[in-house]
Amino acid sequence: MTRWLTLLSLLIVASVVVGVILTRAQVFAAPEQPIAYNHQSHVEAGLQCLFCHTSALRSDIAGIPSMEKCMGCHNIIATDNEAVQALTSYWKQSQPIPWNRVNQQPDFVYFSHQAHLGAGINCETCHGDVGHMTVAQPVVKMDMGWCLDCHLKQPENKIARLADCLTCHK
Amino acid sequence: MNQDAGILKDNALRSTLNEIMPKALTRREFLKIAAGATAATGLAPAVRSIVIEPFVHPPEEELPGQATWYASTCRQCPAGCGIIVRTIEGRAKKIEGNPLHPLNRGKLCARGQAGLQVLYNPDRLKNAVRQSGGRGSRQFEPLYWPDALDLLRDKIAALSGAERLAFLGGLMPSHAYRLTARLLEALGAAPPVIYDLQSALEGRSAASQLSLAFFGAPDLPEYDLSQSDVVLSFGANLLETWMSPVAQSAAYGAMRQGRMGRRGLLVQFEPRLSATAASSDEWIPVKPGAEGFVALAIGRIIVEERLGHVGSHRSQAVLYQNVDVRDMSTASDVPVETLRRMARAFADADRAVAIPGGYLAGQRNGFSSMLAVQALNLVVAQVGRQGGVFLSNPGPTAALRQNPPVNSFDEVMDLIRRMKAGEIDLLLVHSANPIYELPAAAGFAEAITRVPFVVSFSPFVDETAIWADLILPDHTYLESWGYQVPSPGADRPVVSSQQPVVRPLYDTLAAADVLLGLAARLGGKPADALAWQDEASYLEETVGELYGSSLGAYDARTPSGFWALWHQYGGWWSEKQIRREPELTDVVQKPLAISDPQFEGDPQDYPFHLYPYSSITLTDGRGANLPWLQEAPDPMTTVQWGMWVEINPTTASALGISDNDVVQVESPHGSLEAPVVIYPGIRPDVVAIPVGQGHQDYGRFAQEVSGSNPLTLVAPVTDPGTGALAWGATRVRLKPTGRKQFLARLESLDGKGRESLD
Repeated sequence: MTRWLTLLSLLIVASVVVGVILTRAQVFAAPEQPIAYNHQSHVEAGLQCLFCHTSALRSDIAGIPSMEKCMGCHNIIATDNEAVQALTSYWKQSQPIPWNRVNQQPDFVYFSHQAHLGAGINCETCHGDVGHMTVAQPVVKMDMGWCLDCHLKQPENKIARLADCLTCHK
Repeated sequence: MNQDAGILKDNALRSTLNEIMPKALTRREFLKIAAGATAATGLAPAVRSIVIEPFVHPPEEELPGQATWYASTCRQCPAGCGIIVRTIEGRAKKIEGNPLHPLNRGKLCARGQAGLQVLYNPDRLKNAVRQSGGRGSRQFEPLYWPDALDLLRDKIAALSGAERLAFLGGLMPSHAYRLTARLLEALGAAPPVIYDLQSALEGRSAASQLSLAFFGAPDLPEYDLSQSDVVLSFGANLLETWMSPVAQSAAYGAMRQGRMGRRGLLVQFEPRLSATAASSDEWIPVKPGAEGFVALAIGRIIVEERLGHVGSHRSQAVLYQNVDVRDMSTASDVPVETLRRMARAFADADRAVAIPGGYLAGQRNGFSSMLAVQALNLVVAQVGRQGGVFLSNPGPTAALRQNPPVNSFDEVMDLIRRMKAGEIDLLLVHSANPIYELPAAAGFAEAITRVPFVVSFSPFVDETAIWADLILPDHTYLESWGYQVPSPGADRPVVSSQQPVVRPLYDTLAAADVLLGLAARLGGKPADALAWQDEASYLEETVGELYGSSLGAYDARTPSGFWALWHQYGGWWSEKQIRREPELTDVVQKPLAISDPQFEGDPQDYPFHLYPYSSITLTDGRGANLPWLQEAPDPMTTVQWGMWVEINPTTASALGISDNDVVQVESPHGSLEAPVVIYPGIRPDVVAIPVGQGHQDYGRFAQEVSGSNPLTLVAPVTDPGTGALAWGATRVRLKPTGRKQFLARLESLDGKGRESLD
């Protein structure tokens, strides 16, 4: 009996450790996507980030391109590609692609792309070198320490506002 | 361990635990389980993923992450407040009042806020259906819309005469009503019958007839509360459900605090302390049905004692020549001294107004009571004067004046008689739920079984739709086009616009498009009468008549520009205040009638008056399928998710009942059981029950609440003066059942002060 219990305890401890490791590792793992969208090939073809993520300059969120926008090119471009065929199949059924979110802020954080782009920050600063990634993956752990790290390096006259709780937790 | 031991001291709990577990839990085992649970929790975020779906076809001008606000019109009650709806990425998120709208000026009530749950309700019909297992089977088979229209066309074409077709409507959109009326006229059928419980409870048809008798026009009166110094409200729940509660609540606020140095006085005459009475300066619990006597006595005192600043009351003496103040005082249970005090306050005020409310219209002497109350405004010369009575502005064009009237209960009874006699072969029902909303004793449930084919336009499977062969679900109001001329209106001509704030969620079809499609299929006269291509083109033409009007609050350079502004503003209204002054008819030159109230049920057998009142959240039951409204506590009893009977503490102690005791309420026409709320704010000879619960159908949220429909008790009797349902004229008796059912109340019954009430 005691042996069994010891074994069980060890198993529990092990699963806790594995659980914690997995959770940490998950932060930097690229979530699986329904279509293996290749960022690199698009950037190499000369597309700017804002061509697809159009609302980043004008809205809180950068936006995922509509199916219509994808099909604007892929009606004729790379139609023999497997991923493009998968895209076309969604389009023909008038269904959106259920993408999995890569970067996520909790509900209690107010984040605006517009404000950051307006301050002259590049996409790469936070999202890494997406131009060399295939499927997008997170490169930084976007927690509060990371946000403040940058906010506190800003010009002195802006720090009071940028370090205010209510700036991000409205 | 101490904690565990503490819990396990309880022997009962210990034995329960022993039953569940083979042996008592040790500390070690407990820790192991806890560690396992923690590990599982630690793993949880690893499996978390959030799906983001892009638009397939993005709407024009849509900017992800940025809200778009659409102006429209609330359809949760007949008032017609302007709303603005916040939408993000094509989904409606929040409803607020339209700040520009002259009626509600940015305010909105709880029912209006809950409109989102009409849109997103899980019990909505998702397409046209036919009951495959026969009527009442609740087995539905989806139907392709063109087939549904063909079926309806065939049914109409097969009628042996147009008089065998009947249409019953409730709170219908104005344009759908006008198209229906045109279609029925072209077919040679009788005009639609319009009836809903909310309108009956607020006395809408009676109020319209009162206007006709008093002012020669059927438009509803508009009482200028905000500018009044003394308001005598006779059973009008101004701040809850009566007529236009949001506009009236704002006016009430202005009356109290909007004017420097002047605070208006509100006196409420009704047998039960409503939320409005609770907000008044004085609540006078009049004997049910005797409100008119109070008004007559006040009028008599003013005329007799030449009170006020009007000068001569000689011309009005004839109105009160038969009134004896002492008799009136006895009949109404209001002391002569109180009547005299009220008469002085009313006559001496610079601006005073008396309001005949819904409870009056629900009595068998309703019309004479309402006349007596309206006459008070004449005695103090407040007709067409600031702080007094005005008439609502009718629609600004001929087409916009064709709005759904409310038919009297007598006309509904006539329809039921025709149905029972087998004179109706096809019945169409839109936005009405007569099986729930009519007194059960009226026999609609039986009559509908005699009609060979029934079609419902309800987006929900309600009690009436269950008896339909075909359900052609209309869009919900946040997905619909339309307009509404608010009645009672604002201080200026107003037409509210309605537009879809989201694309229709399901394969539903606007009733107006069903009618247009049907007319086109029928050909001939109906097709000529309804010659519009679709709903939007009909509306564009009707509303387009307002383009170029010199009154409008905004200017458009082109008709299409007007069409855009009409939607952006949320309607069309006059820039300046334009009040309509009523003209008096000769009804005010004859003595006012003194008519005694009559009640169904022998006072010996049935000692109490039944007061079924409109719930501030569920109104007449149409809000019962919205969980936000079910959860909102009733303002007076603080009950949530429930239904109850309000009984005075003296009555309760005489019957030996206390809070949460289930009693049987019995009338000559039916009985129900409900838990008791001991309520000091009610006359000892009255029991009150809120309307709205007790649904057999109408979706999971409406059906799951235990409760009964008080309409099962109500006698189908009318006021001969108006033909309106006398819903307050039934007597009941109470029988304790010995059982208890605990109501969920926000306010605890234990504690300070409560002991003195029981």
